[in-house]
Amino acid sequence: MKFFNQHKQVSLIIEETLLKKISQIGIEKYPYETGGFLVGYYSDDSMTLYITDYLLPHKQKGMAYLFERSIDGMKQVFKNLFDRQKHFYIGEWHTHPNGSCMYSSTDLNAMIEIANCETVNITNPVLLILSITEKQVKDFTFSIYNNKGLHPYE
Amino acid sequence: MDISKHDYLEKVLESHKMKHVSDFVSKHKTKRDEIKSELQSNYTGKIYVPINSGSYAKHTAINIKFDLDIIVPFKRDAFETLEEMFDSVYDFLYEKYKDKATVRKQKVSIGLEFYPDEDGEVINLDIVPGRELNQDKYLEDKKLNLYVNTLYGVLKEKTYIQTNIQAQIDHITAKENERKKIRLLKAWKHHNRETYKSFLLELLVIKAFDQANIDGNLWEKLKKTMEYIQNNVNQEGFTLKDPGNSGNNVIDTLNTNERQKLSDTMKRIIENIEANDDNIKIYFPINEKFEETDTQRGYGIKTASASVSIPPNNTRFGL
Repeated sequence: MKFFNQHKQVSLIIEETLLKKISQIGIEKYPYETGGFLVGYYSDDSMTLYITDYLLPHKQKGMAYLFERSIDGMKQVFKNLFDRQKHFYIGEWHTHPNGSCMYSSTDLNAMIEIANCETVNITNPVLLILSITEKQVKDFTFSIYNNKGLHPYE
Repeated sequence: MDISKHDYLEKVLESHKMKHVSDFVSKHKTKRDEIKSELQSNYTGKIYVPINSGSYAKHTAINIKFDLDIIVPFKRDAFETLEEMFDSVYDFLYEKYKDKATVRKQKVSIGLEFYPDEDGEVINLDIVPGRELNQDKYLEDKKLNLYVNTLYGVLKEKTYIQTNIQAQIDHITAKENERKKIRLLKAWKHHNRETYKSFLLELLVIKAFDQANIDGNLWEKLKKTMEYIQNNVNQEGFTLKDPGNSGNNVIDTLNTNERQKLSDTMKRIIENIEANDDNIKIYFPINEKFEETDTQRGYGIKTASASVSIPPNNTRFGL
């Protein structure tokens, strides 16, 4: 599946099977929010992002309207991933049970914090939000963070 | 100021990145490789493989003032004296490049400043000849003796200096936190025409991170680094060991007055910025040549190439 972001003129590519796996995890956690990390790499010209996998946090708190994830135990996972495959952290995903796939102010603040984090080497992390119900994913949106804003892909 | 000091400093760093001058860097690298090859051919049997050094090799370079350094390690028996080594390399480079560049003897290096090319750009390279300390031991211990051509400071009576360039490079390896503050202080030095040696600032920042609790956002870390310098650089007994030569206390390159002045300057910068955020622009200006104004195309990374990213802890999302 390929998506395009007009704001940054960039593409995002993800296998449908990977998206389905993420969706299934979200549905299983319903009615609570859940989420995790997205990993991948950029093309040599930095115009295309390939999302190759997701990672689940070892620790997380999921409530109906809130998801908090920790990076406890994850540092080595990210390091190993880069050492072995040169794939790296490229963003986040989480669910909005019974909600829309529009980002909230909490989501935006989280992405600002991520982009400003000194240990994050990317300036444009992406955010995947899945709007879910008890049995299915109603909708989903990928957005790219840039200059204190989130800009959706089409 | 309409943005935070942290965000502003990120813009300062971004505008000073080497990626903005990648074509210029490529020209330097091409010329550097050519010179390395020429030296190896000319001194076959007397020389080890030249190594890249300087701020670019240490990832502390900024795009305002830029050159590349080459360390040329010779075998112990290649020359009778260090002066002979220095003169030989100078003579060779002079004969080879006299029609293309200004070739001059510097303190421990031979500087090559090439005449402007078709784009009007000037390539600068510093060639540092060194002789291994003990015969056939360089590959093992990386120790070199450099000839000191221009005498300065505490080295007034010396005509050579022992160093270990690899140890100097290793000293800053994998210290991105420190490197950011080094780049900011180098930007301050260049924009404010300060004369402190970049190597001195580099060692001060590394020692600050080693000795003090430097945490917080980018501004808070820079402020704590400057506070460390303010509180320590003028203290009797303060040392700044050269990782390439433990007998070389780099703080001794400043006299007592200069150390006090550096301390006072750090104090003044912090006070003025705390009094008015906008003053940060005076001390740490954005390199306007590469200021990001419109949205740039493509995914961005903060360093020259992709690397591990560790996202922040306990991040909250939600409806």
